[in-house]
Amino acid sequence: MVRPGESILVAGASGSGKSTLCRASIGLVPHFHGGELIGRVWVDGMDTREHPVHKLFGHVGLAFQNPDAQLFNQTVEAELAYGLESLGLAPKEIERRLTWVSEMARLGPLLHRSPHCLSGGEKQCVVLGAILALRPRLVLLDEPFTHLDPEGAERLRAILRAMRAEGIGCIVVEHRLHAIVDEVDRLVVLHRGHVAVDGPPRQVLAQDLSNHGLNLPPLTRFFREQGRVETPLTVDEALLCLRKSVETQEGRYPSSRRSLDWNFPDHSPKPANPPSGFRNFVIEVNRVQFSYGDLAVLSGVNLKLNRGECVALAGRNGGGKTTLVKHFNGLLKPNSGEVNVLGRDTRTTSVSELARHVGFAWQNPNDQLFQANVREEVLTGPRVLRAYDPTWCERLFERFGLGPLMDRSPFRLSEGEKKRVAFATALAAQPEVVILDEPTAGQDEPFRRELGSLIRELRAEGRTVVLVTHDLEFAAEHANRWVVLAGGQIVADGSPQEVMGDSEAMAAAGLRPTQLFQLRKALAEWSDEKRMEAHVV
Amino acid sequence: MSFDPRSKLTAALVAAVVLMTLGRWPWLALALGLFLLVTLWLHLGRAWLDLLNSLGFAAVSFFVIAWLAFDLATGLEASLRLLAMATVFFLFFKTTPPEDLSNALVKLGIPYAFAFVLSASMQFVQVLTRRAANIRDAQRARGIPLEGNLKTLYHLPAVVGPLLIQAFKLADELAEAMEARGFGAPGRRFRREPHFALADWFFVGINLVVLTGFLWVRFK
Repeated sequence: MVRPGESILVAGASGSGKSTLCRASIGLVPHFHGGELIGRVWVDGMDTREHPVHKLFGHVGLAFQNPDAQLFNQTVEAELAYGLESLGLAPKEIERRLTWVSEMARLGPLLHRSPHCLSGGEKQCVVLGAILALRPRLVLLDEPFTHLDPEGAERLRAILRAMRAEGIGCIVVEHRLHAIVDEVDRLVVLHRGHVAVDGPPRQVLAQDLSNHGLNLPPLTRFFREQGRVETPLTVDEALLCLRKSVETQEGRYPSSRRSLDWNFPDHSPKPANPPSGFRNFVIEVNRVQFSYGDLAVLSGVNLKLNRGECVALAGRNGGGKTTLVKHFNGLLKPNSGEVNVLGRDTRTTSVSELARHVGFAWQNPNDQLFQANVREEVLTGPRVLRAYDPTWCERLFERFGLGPLMDRSPFRLSEGEKKRVAFATALAAQPEVVILDEPTAGQDEPFRRELGSLIRELRAEGRTVVLVTHDLEFAAEHANRWVVLAGGQIVADGSPQEVMGDSEAMAAAGLRPTQLFQLRKALAEWSDEKRMEAHVV
Repeated sequence: MSFDPRSKLTAALVAAVVLMTLGRWPWLALALGLFLLVTLWLHLGRAWLDLLNSLGFAAVSFFVIAWLAFDLATGLEASLRLLAMATVFFLFFKTTPPEDLSNALVKLGIPYAFAFVLSASMQFVQVLTRRAANIRDAQRARGIPLEGNLKTLYHLPAVVGPLLIQAFKLADELAEAMEARGFGAPGRRFRREPHFALADWFFVGINLVVLTGFLWVRFK
C-alpha cells in the first residue's frame, strides 16, 4: 500500500523482484510482458489487470533503468510533450504543463537540445520530467542513481524533493541506499519475490538484514561495527549521536583522548609490495593532450601507475576518465605527449600487443559477448593474442564460478553472471594492468564483496587495478590511491584521505567526500573544539 | 516562411521525378547547381559537405562504372543524378523536423504507428553508431584485430553479433517505454498541428505546373 504523497525506497538483492514490481505497478505486467500475475494491483482506484497501460499511464509513471531507451523524440521539448499528446490534451494545456515541468525539473536550458546528446544525469531528468508532465499520482524510478555522478545525483534528489512538495508519491528502487534513504518515508526490502521487511528506514535498518544482499548505508555499517544501537541516516545525525554518547560518558568537557577516538575503517589500503626485479611503473602518461574534434578532453595529463596498486579515477561524467583509460591500451592515441605501457610507446604499439598487458572489463558486458558459449567467450582473447595458458584459464573459471555456466550461451546469463564473464575475459591473457569501468554500477552487495576480494587478490599478485567509478564509497574501501580529473586535468592525486581533504579539488570535480570521511572530519573538529573549551575552563 | 511538410514532400517528389527523367548532364548539372544555391541560402553548406563526404565515394564509383561501361556523358549523368537526388532529400529532411513529418503523415491518413516509427528510427541511427563504436573498442581491447585489414572480415561477427543483440534489446526496451507513455492511447492530439496554409497551396500548385510542363516538353 502506498499512500498519496508517500515516498518509498525498495531494496533487495539482484533477482529479488524489484523491477518486476515496478512493471506490475504500471500494468506492463500482465499487459506487455508474459507470465502469470496472481493477485491484484490497484493504482488510483483502477485494477491494472482490467485497464490497459494507456489508461494507467496518466496515473502512474515509470522511469526505467536505461535512459537511452526511453528517449525517442528529437528534442527534449518533444520528449516532455509526448505523453501529454498521448493523453489527448489541448495544445494550450500542453504548453502550460511544459512550462511547469521544465521549471520543476530545471530543464529550461535543455528544451531544444537532442536528448541523445545530453549527459547521463540530464537524460535521467528528462525522463523524469516527461513522466511528471503527466501529473501522475505515483512515480516509480528503477535504479535512477546508477549512472549518475554526484552532481547528477544531487539534481535528482532535488527533483524528488520537489515532487514530494507537490504531493506526488514515489517509489525508488535502488542498490545504493545511502543515496536516498534519508529522504524517504519507508524502506521496503524484497527477498526472493516477497516483502521481507517494510517500515520507516530507521526501524528497518536497525534489523538484521544480512541475508537480504543489501548494500547498507556506510553510516549504518559503521555504527554496527562500533556496536551501537542507533541508526543515523545522515552525517549530522551520526555526529549528534556520537557527541551525545561522549558527553554522557565524560560530561561536557571530555578530557580523555580515547573517548574521542573512533575506530574508523582504514580508508587507505597500502599498496602491495612490488615483486623484486621488476620496474615499478607500469603505465607512464606524460603531458598528454587529446581532443574529440574541437572539444578538448585531456589537457596536459601526467600520471604514473605503480605495480600492485589500486587507483580510482573519479570526476564528473564527461570529465575525461574513460578517454584517459582508453589511452592505456592504445584505443586512443594522444594528440601530443606520450603514454608508455611497460616501456612500450602506445603511439607505435598495436592495440593487440597492448591488450596482452592491459585488460579491460567494460561497464556494459553486452558490448563484448558474441560467442556461442561461456568457455569460448573467455578463451577468445588469449587465443587471438596467442597467450592461452590452460592452467591459468581453469583457475579463472573456478575463481569466477563459471564451471556450471561453461556450455551456456553468454546472452542467456543474468547481468551479474555476464559481469563475471567480462572480468574473466579481461584477465584471461594474464594482463599486468586491469581496468574496471564502473564495476559496481547496478550491482548488489554480494557482488560488491566478491569484487572487493578480487581486487585484493589481483593486487597481491602484483597487478595494477584501475577503477573508473562514481562509487566513492567503494573506491574509499578498495583503492589506495585516488586520481581526480576535472576540466581535462588531474586536479588531485593521493590517498583517499588526502584527496577528500582537498575541498577545492573535490569541488572542481563535482565530488563530495564519503559519509564516513565527513563524519570523521566533523568529529575531529568537534573534538578539537571541546579540548580547547576544556583548556579554557 | 516555412512550408507545411506535406507541401515540401510534394516538392521533393516532383523534383525526384524531374531528376529521374532529365536526360542530359548539363541539365542535371544546372539542377544540382540550383539545389546548391538553395542549400547555401538556408545556411546548410557545411552539412552538405558532410553529405558529400559520405556520398562522394558512391558518386565517384557511379561515374567510373558508367563511364567504363558506356561513355563519359553517361558517367557524368549517373553521378550528377545521384548527387542532385541526394541533395533534394537532404534539403527536405534538414528543413523538416521528424515529429512534424510524422504529424503531417498522420494527417495524410498514414497510421500513427507507422509514421512515428519512420521518424523515430532516424534518431536511433546515431545511438546504434555510438554502440557499434563501443563494441569495436571492447573487442579491440581483448586483442581482436579490427583495424581495417582483411582480418577484420573474419572477426566481423565480434562486432555484428553484440550490435544485433543490443539493437533487438534496445527495440524491446523502447517499445516498453513507449507503451508506458501512452503510445497506443486512442485520441492522440498533436501539440503542433500541421496547418496547410494558402502559401502551401500556392507552392504545391507551382510544383504541379512545373511537373506538368516538364513532362509535356519532355514527352510531347
